[in-house]
Amino acid sequence: MNSFSQIAASSEDCIYDKIQLILPNKPEYVSVARLTASAIANRVGFNIEDIEDIKVAIAEACTNAILHGCTECENSFVIDFKVEPGNIEITVKDKGKGMQVDKLKKPDLSNPKEGGLGVFIIKSLMDEVELKSNEGRGTVLTMRKSVTEEE
Amino acid sequence: MAFNVECTKNEAQGNWYVKVEGEVDVYTAPKLKEKLLDPIEKEKTDLVVDMHDLVYIDSTGLGVFIGVLRRVKEYNGNIVLKGPRDNVKRLLEITGLNKIFIVEE
Repeated sequence: MNSFSQIAASSEDCIYDKIQLILPNKPEYVSVARLTASAIANRVGFNIEDIEDIKVAIAEACTNAILHGCTECENSFVIDFKVEPGNIEITVKDKGKGMQVDKLKKPDLSNPKEGGLGVFIIKSLMDEVELKSNEGRGTVLTMRKSVTEEE
Repeated sequence: MAFNVECTKNEAQGNWYVKVEGEVDVYTAPKLKEKLLDPIEKEKTDLVVDMHDLVYIDSTGLGVFIGVLRRVKEYNGNIVLKGPRDNVKRLLEITGLNKIFIVEE
């Protein structure tokens, strides 16, 4: 169940809080995305394990944007956070080369490779992941996670 | 905790002991790769990686270990990952890499 789309459908008003981060296409700034995501996730009410998952997921998305997305003319990428109590939605958007989403393969353990783990890891750590990409026009990765009620 | 890698020869056990501290991501992964390849160029032995103070890793760092393992396997060596924290262990399990590396407490 995606509460954000319900909100969007029921009202144009912004019930959730929006935070935007524009980062340069440089590896040294991925830690800034992690720290920001960690602080926001803490505010949303996630436990330490979930915050660790969100940190890895956003870093994977940023790494992909930097290594595969950004081009020389587009030297930055955008991270949008939508936040409401118990829910976080993170969108990482680049205007780079794009990719063929259907060509993504599951990691093959009999022949482990250095790359290709990022999206697989994001899908394992987050509740919902949407990956949209147009070759030549960039990639948008949206991921959501909700706080699980602990007994 | 700042990123740091210390490599020492364990003469008694005949392997390289590598202590990795801090965060390994797309920024620090190339330095980790250099620091892991350096010793095995000198002496082709097993690598024991102390992960107790490795607070963060993602696919970029795991990719480095996969690449280095391939080199180590060329001379039938092993990589032992020692004492990964829960968050690191979780990623090793999700990716199935815990079956490829020797993971010890």
